[in-house]
Order: sequence, then C-alpha cells, then structure tokens
Amino acid sequence: MSPESLAETVLRLSTVSRSSPRDPNETTHWPEPDSLDRAQWFTSPELISVYGTPLWDSLDDHARRQLSFWEAVGFYSLNIHGEKLLIEGIARRLYQPGLEDVAEYLHHFLDEENQHSIWFATFCLRYGGKIYPDRKVAFPREHAPGEEDLLFFARVAVFEELVDRYNSAMGRDDRLAPVARRINANHHDEETRHLVFGRRLVEHLWRWHAPGWSDETVAGVRAHLAGYVMATWREYYNPDVYRDAGFPDPYATARQAWDHPATAAHRAALTARSLRWLYEAGILEAPVLS
Amino acid sequence: MTAGASAEAAAREALRGWVRERSAAAVPDDFDDHTPLIASGLVTSLQITDLLLVVEEMRSAPLDPASLRPGVFRDIDTIYATFLADRLGS
Repeated sequence: MSPESLAETVLRLSTVSRSSPRDPNETTHWPEPDSLDRAQWFTSPELISVYGTPLWDSLDDHARRQLSFWEAVGFYSLNIHGEKLLIEGIARRLYQPGLEDVAEYLHHFLDEENQHSIWFATFCLRYGGKIYPDRKVAFPREHAPGEEDLLFFARVAVFEELVDRYNSAMGRDDRLAPVARRINANHHDEETRHLVFGRRLVEHLWRWHAPGWSDETVAGVRAHLAGYVMATWREYYNPDVYRDAGFPDPYATARQAWDHPATAAHRAALTARSLRWLYEAGILEAPVLS
Repeated sequence: MTAGASAEAAAREALRGWVRERSAAAVPDDFDDHTPLIASGLVTSLQITDLLLVVEEMRSAPLDPASLRPGVFRDIDTIYATFLADRLGS
C-alpha cells in the first residue's frame, strides 16, 4: 500500500469520526443501579470464559446469569486497562516525525477511546462498584529503529481485533440487558474504524522498518506479538470475576477454565479469524494458537 | 522442618518449576533462586500475568496492584520475599 492510500484512509475515517455522536449519555440509557435487573444476561453465554467446561454444565440458570454480570465487569475492566495504555501511547506519538500524516486521525482515535473508557467505567462503577485491577507490568528495554512504534500499534490492533469479536457478537445479542448490548454495539461501531486504521498503519510501519532490521529483531517482534496474544487471552480468565460470582476457589477455576480443550478451541478459532491479516501481511509467520 | 519452612520450600520449588516450564529462554544448569529472571530473558513482561496468577494462588489472595513494579520480579528470592514470605514464611 502506498503512503497516499494510508493518507486517504486517514481522511475518510476522520470524516466519519467527526459526524459520530460523542456524549455517551446520548447513545446509552443508564438505569438506576437499584433498578437494574441482575437476572438478565450481561455477557452472551457462549462468550463466558467457562462456557463448554464442566463448571459451566454444573451451574444453574441463575448462577450463569450472575456470572455473566461479573464477566461483563471483567471484560469492561480489561478494556479500560487496554485503552489506558492505548491513550498514553497515542498521546506520546502525536506529531511524532514519520507519523505526521496520521496525526489528525490520532486525535479522533484518542477522543473515541476516551469515550469508550467512560462507557466501560460507568458500567463497572455504577453497577459493579469496582474496576478489576490490571495484572500487566511493562519492563523497559532497548528497541531497533521503528520497532517500538510497530509493536505498540500492532499490540493495539491485536487487542482491538480480539475485543471487537466480542463487541460485535454481543452488540447484536437480543438476550443481553439493553445497557450491555448498547455498550458493546457502540464500541463495535467505532472500533470498526480503528481496526481499519490499525491494519493499514501496522502494515505501513512493517514495510517501512522491517527491511532494515536484523533477523534477530524480526524474530523478536514475531515472538513478542505471539506472546501478547496469549497474555491478552489470559486476562479473560479472571479470578476476581470468579470470586465475585461466588466460586469457592477462583484461582483453580481460572486455571481449569484456561486449560480446558473447549476454551482452547474457542481461543484458537477466534484468534485465527481475527489475526489472519497479520499472516497475510507477513508480520506473523505461523498461527499463534492452534 | 517447621510447617512454615516446608511451605516456603514448596513455594520456591513451584516457582522454579514454573520458570523451567514457561521460560522464554534456555534455563541455565546452575539456575537457582538468585538467577536473574528478567535481565536474562527467562521471563518476559508478557508472562507476568500468568506468573502473578500462580503467586496469587499460592497466597490465596490477590496482590496489591501498587506492588507490581519491575524490580519485584528480579529473581525467585525477591518474588518470594515480596509476595509470599508474609503469608507462608517460617
């Protein structure tokens, strides 16, 4: 893809962003906490982390719906932490040399991600009374020229591609409580633009920088992205969720859910669909999960 | 051996086992509780979530997010002293 087509993408996405509603209160009705019926579904059953495991089979309908609420708090918390890193990283790259052509869209990106965090945090705090803590720790290290930018935008794209599979499905799921369905649908609507932008920019950065990298750096980038996919999935199996859902041993639940073949197959299928473009662009060589 | 010392030994062995099983790099023959984990590449930042869950399960309690700094994962001895000694120590 030529730099012109990246610029054209930026122009088109910026135009759409300018016409999109910004205020989360305009697009989402927030019931009073006391009037929110907790017996509704807040996460699609098939996307609940323990779905397909013996634990899921052992739960009655009430317990499954209770779990679906705390899974929503967990999923939105994961989004909040992901978007905090994203906002921080994008703000640092505004008008950075080499990224001037995408600066206008980065402003829209920042604006929209900030609004997304408001939706997610409003739900978590209003109805769950908490945002689950982040378990990620970053270790500073040296990078080859362009490597840190490529890794940052590739991590953002991977995170958003995986999350969007959930948002897309749950935004159309009539079983869900309206507030949960609306949050997912709103996020999906705007993430669609971010996904297009992310793919174009990552492919552009790869073609720009990778030819100048050593084989060791290229291998390191691929290993890092594969590790990031695994680490992202790991956070979907959150002991804090299981604790609040009343499970007696939340850590064993997290371990058993993660290890179960049904959840491994779910992760592999969804990852393959979400990240096919990384293989097609030559950024990843082999399937991350199988 | 006291119950506390026994728990400490088991925790340290479990952490060594986790590193041997999950290490991103070749584990040296002389690997022990003082071998650098991060500086040597044995453990990467992307593996920390998994490691934290192992540590939390040993503690039977969540960790304070404010305690999660890169230095506390320097080696197994530091991990034990930072997160586990107060819960399991002899």
